[in-house]
Amino acid sequence: MSEARAVVIPRPAPLPWWKRFFLVEMLQGMSVTMKHYLRGWREPFTVQYPEERLPLDPRFRGYPRLRMHPETGDELCNVCRQCEKICPTLCIAIEEEPHPSGKGRRPRQFTVDYERCCQCGLCAEACGSDPISAIYMSHDYELADYGRDRFRAQKDRLYLGFPAPPAGKGKAPGK
Amino acid sequence: MYQTSELEINMGPQHPATHGVLRLVLRLDGETIVEVKPVIGYLHRGVEKLSENRGYRSVTPLTDRLDYCAAFAENHSYVGAVEKLLGVEVPPRAQAMRVVLAELQRIASHLIWLATHGLDIGAMTIFLYAFREREKCLDLFEGYCGARLTYNALRIGGVPQEFPDGWTEALRRFLDELPTRIAQYETLLTGNRIWRLRTEGVGVIDARTALGLGLTGPTLRGSGVDYDVRKYAPYENYRDYAFDIPVGSKGDTYDRYLIRMEEMRQSRRIILQALEALPDGPILAKVAGRIRPPKGAEAYFMTESPRGEMSVYLVSDGTDKPYRVRFRSPCFNNLQGLPTLSKGHMVADVVALIGSIDIVLGCVDR
Repeated sequence: MSEARAVVIPRPAPLPWWKRFFLVEMLQGMSVTMKHYLRGWREPFTVQYPEERLPLDPRFRGYPRLRMHPETGDELCNVCRQCEKICPTLCIAIEEEPHPSGKGRRPRQFTVDYERCCQCGLCAEACGSDPISAIYMSHDYELADYGRDRFRAQKDRLYLGFPAPPAGKGKAPGK
Repeated sequence: MYQTSELEINMGPQHPATHGVLRLVLRLDGETIVEVKPVIGYLHRGVEKLSENRGYRSVTPLTDRLDYCAAFAENHSYVGAVEKLLGVEVPPRAQAMRVVLAELQRIASHLIWLATHGLDIGAMTIFLYAFREREKCLDLFEGYCGARLTYNALRIGGVPQEFPDGWTEALRRFLDELPTRIAQYETLLTGNRIWRLRTEGVGVIDARTALGLGLTGPTLRGSGVDYDVRKYAPYENYRDYAFDIPVGSKGDTYDRYLIRMEEMRQSRRIILQALEALPDGPILAKVAGRIRPPKGAEAYFMTESPRGEMSVYLVSDGTDKPYRVRFRSPCFNNLQGLPTLSKGHMVADVVALIGSIDIVLGCVDR
């Protein structure tokens, strides 16, 4: 048996006459408000997005992207299809081709449907490539664009990131 | 002789006080409620059926979307059920880490409850303050697992990663300031005359009726029943911690409010104990790469989510996909109590009562 014990929460006594006078409660409540209002002048709670941005945590899970081998610059993905299998929203599709070196396979096309992706990060954990996972959770989180088809990210986008929107129509992320 | 005729009106599904897409059909006599009929299903996504077509590991992110204010609790129930199905023993360190995260989730969830409940009854200030502290909880969760709401923070057999550097210190800093913050909320609400008039004696439910309706969590404990899964069917290593289970004496909305406030303090107590005695060792038990439980195996696993008893029932047919996944959601059962609670009260009290049973429609409709 656990050490948890039940405790009856005491209810406060009925209000004394001076507390029934409405203004006392209002003043008490307003004093808390006032304290925070004054504090807000010294250190504001708000961040002026998009001019200011909060730093992202190192473990932040943005949209999944692909990466090359850090030393050789080859494609890391060896089409083991573990990410395709574990994805809960079935948003990954891989077409394979034999690797030109004659050994193993490589993806001819790798598609991640960003509209379906739920950023759970299971693909990056399941990835069987060596020495690091080919698919990883990037820090990209702004994906506004002008067409739905543009969210079906293919190899170019997965390697290079999401391109900035056309000039004159918006601000590039991070600028 | 004057006569009033009963009037039937709709509240919701698009109503700010119904916490999502809940529709209530109210039958009124003047402004007094004769009958309330909740109409649900506006947020039904078919998670149970969807789970039957996914591998055991791929279901965890789906459970995030059930109770989006306390996603960790849902992860916990599901992952615990799979572990029970496979007979996997979770390493002690992972168990303690799960307790820390589960109690932090309880604080975050109670804060959002406090914020919206206050806002529904007309206390605007409390909303902003409670959300500020909740933000800190979400930042901690983001630091741990990389997401703010849909955590996917557990894996079958343990937890996926250690706490990052400096995380426990940040958590301690948050816990250090929490009692002052709760005292501030109490200044704004507990003795507040308007708050007491709006909540005291509203929605009184006795222990027998509450048990009969299947209410769980703070909604049931408000009526004086000390039923808490953490005490009666301890999971993880909850039996190692000393904590109080607050119960109410009258069973009204005010009692349920007092209980949730006290639960936040008790959660803080549990986290501090767990951090103090965090064992060393592995965090992930060895589980086969392809999860295929034996044919016909069943498992039922309960956890105490911030809203009540959240349990998952799993049946295996020997393949790598579950044959049946059933989520017993506390919100669905607690919503059953709403017609009983609101009988004879005013229309404005329905708003207070929806807040006091603390439902999340994602969890009700699944």
